Amino acid sequence: MRKASPKSAPARAADPSLESLFDVHEATLPNGLQVRLLPNHQAPVVSLYTFFNVGSRNERPGITGISHLFEHMMFNGAKKYGPKMFDKTLEANGGSSNAYTSHDMTVYYDDFASDALETVLDLESDRMRSLRISQDMLTSEREVVKEERRVRMDNDIGGMMDEELGTLVYKAHAYRWPVIGWMADIEAISREDCQTYFRTYYAPNNAMLYIAGDIDPKKTLALVRRYYGDIPRGPAPLPVINAEPEQRGERRSTVRHPAQSPAVMIGYRGPSAKDEDTLALDVAQYVLTKGEGSRLTRSLVYEQKLAVGVGLDWSWRIDPGTILFFLELKPDSDPQKSEAALYAELEKLARDGITERELQKALNNLRSDHLRELGTNNGRAHAMGNYEALLGDWRHVLTLPSAYAAITGEKVKAAAAKYLIPERRSVVTLLPAPSEA
Amino acid sequence: MASRKSLTLKSSPRRAAKKAPSRAKKPAATKAAPTSRPLVFPELHESTTSSGLKVVAAERGPLPMVSMRLVIRAGSSTDPAGKHGIADFAARLLRRGTRRMSAEDIDEAVEFVGASLGVGVGEDTLSVAITTPAEHFAQMLEVMGQLVMEPTFPESEVADARERALAQFANDLDEPSVIADRAMVRALWGDHPYGHDVSGSTKTVSTFTRDDVVRFHQERLGPKVAMLVVVGSVDPMKVAQAAEKAFAGWAGGPEAPMVIPALNRVVGAGRVVVVDKPDQTQSQVRLGGPGYRMGHEDYFPSTAMNIALGGGFTSRLMNEVRVNRGLTYSIGCWFDAMHAAGIFALSTFTKTESTREIIDVSLGEIAKVRESGVKPGELRDAQTYMSGLYPLRTETNESIAHSIADMRLNGLGDDWVVKFRDRLRAVTPKQVLAVARKYCFAEAPAVVVLGKADAVKKQLRGLGPITVVPASEYE
Repeated sequence: MRKASPKSAPARAADPSLESLFDVHEATLPNGLQVRLLPNHQAPVVSLYTFFNVGSRNERPGITGISHLFEHMMFNGAKKYGPKMFDKTLEANGGSSNAYTSHDMTVYYDDFASDALETVLDLESDRMRSLRISQDMLTSEREVVKEERRVRMDNDIGGMMDEELGTLVYKAHAYRWPVIGWMADIEAISREDCQTYFRTYYAPNNAMLYIAGDIDPKKTLALVRRYYGDIPRGPAPLPVINAEPEQRGERRSTVRHPAQSPAVMIGYRGPSAKDEDTLALDVAQYVLTKGEGSRLTRSLVYEQKLAVGVGLDWSWRIDPGTILFFLELKPDSDPQKSEAALYAELEKLARDGITERELQKALNNLRSDHLRELGTNNGRAHAMGNYEALLGDWRHVLTLPSAYAAITGEKVKAAAAKYLIPERRSVVTLLPAPSEA
Repeated sequence: MASRKSLTLKSSPRRAAKKAPSRAKKPAATKAAPTSRPLVFPELHESTTSSGLKVVAAERGPLPMVSMRLVIRAGSSTDPAGKHGIADFAARLLRRGTRRMSAEDIDEAVEFVGASLGVGVGEDTLSVAITTPAEHFAQMLEVMGQLVMEPTFPESEVADARERALAQFANDLDEPSVIADRAMVRALWGDHPYGHDVSGSTKTVSTFTRDDVVRFHQERLGPKVAMLVVVGSVDPMKVAQAAEKAFAGWAGGPEAPMVIPALNRVVGAGRVVVVDKPDQTQSQVRLGGPGYRMGHEDYFPSTAMNIALGGGFTSRLMNEVRVNRGLTYSIGCWFDAMHAAGIFALSTFTKTESTREIIDVSLGEIAKVRESGVKPGELRDAQTYMSGLYPLRTETNESIAHSIADMRLNGLGDDWVVKFRDRLRAVTPKQVLAVARKYCFAEAPAVVVLGKADAVKKQLRGLGPITVVPASEYE
């Protein structure tokens, strides 16, 4: 085990007030499993995160949604702890578990009383080593996922618009389909598909383990070695090819649904998480929509009274992602007018940039949000894993504040001028359907 | 991001933000003594400002952040008849201008330093919360003081807020779970002060004038029904001084909190309300009956029972409805205990065709617990589960501030958090059976189904008299 040293941090300096919170011990097992341990004895609880480098990005047409379906299957029984035993054992020992799948990764976590550590390692390593995928479990879990799809996408306006937008923004990349997958694919995924998927993507060499909380790092690493050490490596996953062609003009689509009000969702093709423009766009996001005094909220909601709410989501992704705007409108609104008001603000940003005060305000808020994220064991473990999965090193947790500090008003202006332009834009408009629909 | 398990439905059926649902913990197993250490709960420092406001401060590191909550006993249950939603409406307007600062000034002062300001209304309280970098805490407390002491409620802001609220009510009709929850609140509480949505309705909000807002502020907000809680990396002495300055001269408001009556009877018991939303391919299902108030002696046995029945991911309901039958993505039940009264409710959803099946299976599971309680092993697992996870509630400044406010406002005692696990572990199977008989629908529950009425109505025969109403009824 090697104690983390800030010397090996990425180019930027570590934030001193954060460094004292991140006494991280790290190791790599011979089978490739990477381990990060972070002691914190404030409360007798521990969070354990397992990150697998697999998401809908690794899928192909015909098995869309398999990463997410598979995420469910990981709770349905392995060799030592059979069907229903994972949750039963964990909960009976004072813990709980959940998981999520994104475009880029699949993430499992357990929060638990610190005396359950060994049990949790036994449970987690059992399913990594010897998951059993039975036809019965697959059939039943498929129905659960279909209900999830119905509630998130088919009966939800945001969901149906988001799904439509994905197919507009991406023509070739796997980001084209929703993480939950197409209904027909969820129906068709077979047990064999799942088994192949498991062998390829859920092996220790494709995983990272983060344990934060009331632990002794030395003893914990010994336990990790004992429980995970004999799990064999898997084959190297195939690289994902980004074949996305250049976008040559605005793309538009309409969704009709018996909604009360129209709505607009707009996606601009952005950079990848590793691109430095990502940080400039984070600042732009804060200037545009963070807080009541942000530009878009003040202008579209309070001054022009065109929207009930304005949302902006700039989510970091491994391959170039989407800068997504959502306008919640009033009944009888003119969506084009609201769109035009949004574009006027974006043009202003690209033309005039931001003020020094806006820059400082964004940086202050990015720092506060970062600190808040690090307020719990769960938050710390997740942050380390998330930065490592997207950027290649957990130490970005420490250096992020100084990375943001290097962003200037000029860089924000340049990023807005580069990305927030009609040629990179896709627009989905929701129009209330005729009343009998 | 798609996730395997949704807990989103396991919140209270109300729209107001509530504390997270209880999860189980584990009691001392017979073989080994539990190793759980005592919880670290910061020492509380109490003071009172010259204006009569109680202040509770707790110093806590290491993050250089401070969380403060001003909690006022002016929740939606104090809304006058015909003006349902006024507490929530007024609360949103507090930050739209004071005697010394415009809305823009307030946004700028708070947001520039990286602080965040939130205003929330529940059935019992109106709260103003600010989380801030520690070095700005006194300045932020000053802003908080202005918001509650001298808001100006500009006429144009009132009109705009009303228009936004009405648009929001209309758009809510497109949110199946929101409308189902709203229908359930009405079915459970009827005319009781807890029986309307926290934000009111199109009908009431459309009548709101500036005078209504001003009157609410004058009559309901004052130091004698308020408490300030400050948790984080700041010296309690400094908190007392800063609070004195920020709230100097605060006067007005009631002498004592309004008394809210207990719930005599669930008005929709034994009845079925079908909320028609023809475009749906799923039905939202709610079942509910009476519960108890905060601080009631049934709290711990009921909490333990509920974990086994519908709390954790291995609960009987989750197991039977989701795992064994694949009928839903999410199901849960919970006790919602408020200051004066409470309810016990179940929430889930399923494809239209299996609406009746999911109700029957859920009622069957609840009946089994009512008749036989839970097994000793199940109880033990439930107790261990919640005891293990309970310390998570002491992890952040915000959650500690919440606990302090809850303990003080509901008379739970300052040892509530540190004794919680012991009290939960002491629950016996006999006590669980007693509360199960009482709360697990001994009387037929109120049933709400939101979905395609044509298709579900015939499935629901025999559950009680059925009323079909359009979704717009709940706008």
